[in-house]
Amino acid sequence: MNGYNDYFSGGKRHVLVADDEFINRELLENILEDEYDILKAEDGEMAYEMIKQNRNTLSLILLDLMMPKLSGLELLACLKGDSELKGIPVIVLTSDQQSEVESLKKGAADFIPKPYPQSDVIKARISKAIELAEDRQIISATERDELTGLYTSEYFFRYCELFDKFYSTIDMDALCFDVDHFHVLNERFGIAVGDEILKSIAERLRTIFTDSDCILGRKTADTFLVYCPHREDYEEVAVRASQVCEELPAAIKIRIGVYASCDKKLVIHSRFDRAKLAADKIRNNYSAFVSFFQEALIEKELFAEKLVAEFPKALSEKQFQVYFQPKFDVRGGKPVLASAEALVRWVHPTLGMISPGAFIPLFEEDGLIARLDEYVWRGTAEKIADWKTRLGISVPVSVNLSRAEMYDPKLVELVECIAIDNGITTKDLYLEITESAYVRDADQIVERVKDLRTHGFFIEMDDFGSGYSSLNMIAELPIDALKLDMKFIRTAFEKQNDTRMISIVIDIADYLGVPVIAEGVETKEQYLELKKLGCAIIQGYYFSKPVPAEEFEKFLLEKKVSEG
Amino acid sequence: MLTVDALKEFGADTEDGLARCMNNQAFYLRLVGKVLEDRNFAALEQALSEGNLDAAFGAAHSLKGVLGNLSLTPIYEPVKEMTELLRAKKQMDYQPYMQVIGEKVAELRRLADKA
Repeated sequence: MNGYNDYFSGGKRHVLVADDEFINRELLENILEDEYDILKAEDGEMAYEMIKQNRNTLSLILLDLMMPKLSGLELLACLKGDSELKGIPVIVLTSDQQSEVESLKKGAADFIPKPYPQSDVIKARISKAIELAEDRQIISATERDELTGLYTSEYFFRYCELFDKFYSTIDMDALCFDVDHFHVLNERFGIAVGDEILKSIAERLRTIFTDSDCILGRKTADTFLVYCPHREDYEEVAVRASQVCEELPAAIKIRIGVYASCDKKLVIHSRFDRAKLAADKIRNNYSAFVSFFQEALIEKELFAEKLVAEFPKALSEKQFQVYFQPKFDVRGGKPVLASAEALVRWVHPTLGMISPGAFIPLFEEDGLIARLDEYVWRGTAEKIADWKTRLGISVPVSVNLSRAEMYDPKLVELVECIAIDNGITTKDLYLEITESAYVRDADQIVERVKDLRTHGFFIEMDDFGSGYSSLNMIAELPIDALKLDMKFIRTAFEKQNDTRMISIVIDIADYLGVPVIAEGVETKEQYLELKKLGCAIIQGYYFSKPVPAEEFEKFLLEKKVSEG
Repeated sequence: MLTVDALKEFGADTEDGLARCMNNQAFYLRLVGKVLEDRNFAALEQALSEGNLDAAFGAAHSLKGVLGNLSLTPIYEPVKEMTELLRAKKQMDYQPYMQVIGEKVAELRRLADKA
């Protein structure tokens, strides 16, 4: 059993003395301070707070049963009911035999009577209780990973916890080493070669982290964990670790996620989750080898999780609102309202207006986007119908279709139903399909788009110029308009007014016989230039930002007046 | 000033008390001095005058632990007896106990105050 003591020689375990009597605390501290670092609490509540704060570093609690605020037995019940605290052994201090039995039944490891017995007896009981608790933790884990000889993850985590109990004040880093695309390596060269690589990495880590206060483990296939005193030379560590790969037939990259000077109040797993999060941030980034955890990472992830979790409620409470941005036909002398684009806005009851950029990508990942899109399509169709009956005028409004929806065999039926349900026609609802949707499974997508067109829908190809379509494919595209990627407009006007790319796109549109729509147009200068180049339709802040339906009505009414 | 000899004469089991202090005499004497500041004596008196036996038990129980640990036998013994009676919520006159305890505490205080 002395293995741990040898390993962690020099450090002291931490023991909390919880007793409301000053004299009793002093006596115990005097007896124990040579072997342990002593923390002291003078009532039950204070003890509970200190235990929670030091849960990762506390080896034992000496607990008086009669204390103000929270009694010893109440505190014991709190500890045993808390999965993070119940592993800390508790020795009860009491002068009543009745209480001794009761405490043991409630989970105390042992008791020490009052008046205190000889100091040797006290020390022996404490040391025994700690030993038993630590043994129980360690025994349940298999110690070594067969392949690399490093600690298995379960054992690794236990060992880190134990280390903290001895050296709670050392500034520690949690590291996660990952091999980029390890599975590819396994597939290309076979598992035997993959295993050799893992062994070499383990060997290399041993040479880098040689001090006895570094703990090394292997988590899963290609994930290695290291718990070590804080250091600054991680770039250098990355270089040394990557040297392992130099003899390999294929270039591989080892990336390191560092959670530096980790917060010891966090349970050990969470500290390494943070290191892993940092490591994953530079996956596929070939120039970055080290990534440090920042609080912002976790906040971003938590925020994303919150948005996804709140989606169903937001949908049922109609927190999503459909906004409309007008599109103007600029081919004539005066711009004329031609159509509009429906854009979703999330008006959150506490967070206020959330940008679509913050939630659309999340919902696309989770597949929630289909439900949100359908909501928008229905909302849009309702508005068009409302304008028709109430104002006697409407314009077609385009809605967005995501890539995933293009694979839905019921798509055509669904959109058509929405139109029919609201008493409008398929001519009133334009569909914007992003160019990148066409790139993969082009044939299937093209068939679906053709189907939509035969049902009367007008198809705008969105973000044109961003999706790397082949010229070959473009010639056969079943579309009714090309919508210029906003980035074109930005680059064209930001950098030395180079509009040549826009001209090319307009030429392509001419060849296809469809109009070009420019979005993201913000200034008069951009508007005039695009008009001169031959853009048919202009959308953007120059004319109007996306506005709520009521506000959009003014554009409709103006149009109605001008058309007499 | 308190001395170990004076405490022994007072009736304390100093050998036992010192052993709990790892035989550090100065430490032992300092803690014995602290007993005189213990607010539980006053709390015990107050609780008894109010007839609050639960509170009286709490105070007596705390004192018992401390006095026992320092082996201040002449005060420890009556406090221990009282603690058991109070635990059983026995309705009786506790004044004789309080008188003995008061006298012994006063005696200890005189020892401590002696130049």
